[in-house]
Amino acid sequence: MSDHKLVTPTPAGFTTHEVAHHFESAEQEYQAAKLGFWLFLATEIMLFGGIFAAYIFYFMNYQSDFQGAGATLNWKLGALNTLVLLTSSWTMAAAVRNAQLSQKKQMLINLGITLVCAGGFMVVKYIEYSGKLHDGVFFHIWEPVGHYAALQDLEFSQLFYRIYFTATGIHGVHVLVGMVLIAWLMLRGSKGHFHSGFYTPVDLVGLYGHVVDRIWIFLFPLLYLVP
Amino acid sequence: MADHSSDSHGDVRIDHSHHAHAVSSKLLAGIYFALVVLTIVTVVLAKTVDFGDLSLLVAVAIASVKSTLVMAIFMHLRWDTPINNIAFLSSVIFLSLLFLFTLADIFSRGEANYIGGQPVGLPG
Repeated sequence: MSDHKLVTPTPAGFTTHEVAHHFESAEQEYQAAKLGFWLFLATEIMLFGGIFAAYIFYFMNYQSDFQGAGATLNWKLGALNTLVLLTSSWTMAAAVRNAQLSQKKQMLINLGITLVCAGGFMVVKYIEYSGKLHDGVFFHIWEPVGHYAALQDLEFSQLFYRIYFTATGIHGVHVLVGMVLIAWLMLRGSKGHFHSGFYTPVDLVGLYGHVVDRIWIFLFPLLYLVP
Repeated sequence: MADHSSDSHGDVRIDHSHHAHAVSSKLLAGIYFALVVLTIVTVVLAKTVDFGDLSLLVAVAIASVKSTLVMAIFMHLRWDTPINNIAFLSSVIFLSLLFLFTLADIFSRGEANYIGGQPVGLPG
């Protein structure tokens, strides 16, 4: 290796990115980061895969109870949240494009919309969760009231709700983590760290956000519209 | 290791080896539109059509199409290196194994649930 500092091309007004000394080129650094991240995403898919396997097993055995329990979820709020997450995925993909083209202002706007959408998703989730806790439905169903009262007559409704809270709970934590990451991107982005010569963090956080969105794409029809 | 795509400025060398692939705004908007339409299709089908035993399959199939659109375009996998595609594909393969053996378990229980004529364990 040479003693030279290796940097990527920096458009005017942006901060120069120095390639870490153990990489031969900017391309190698980028590809190494991306492969590592794809492997992490594979483990995320396996994590949720286990929950989906549990769902499939109990759904196949107790389909009618699952349908009955699923009907007590508010599918309109679920659909609203699906649209909110899809929108955030779109603006995130647009933010990556902006970073690649050194469009700082548009990137910050798109990241801002993504952050607001993720926050909106959590607000809807909070409304759903607090309503259920108030009416006696959580991992354990105790004296459910209102339209949840029907759950008492379904032997396996508690199983459904355990899967519901486990899946949406872990998913919600992922959304919160995503919000922190996007806020971090906005902070660094406002300092001019991301441009056509270096945008790896924006790209990778984008990938993470899309995987969280893709998991919800499966959770929504399976939980809110039990087949 | 210097390569053809580097210029030197004293101690600092500018490396031009990485080229960004930006997806067009039009394509991103088109994919978003398709995802919203498929979400509406999911809800309408679930509320109006009874697919019977195929209902789970239909729901998962539509979700898979949506998921693939997000992955191929929003996540750039369509233009990504083979190794990243393999990394992702490996998770799908192992997940399929998990689902396959879970389903094999469900469909092969039958008589095994009855010992001495008495039902035992799951499913009841």
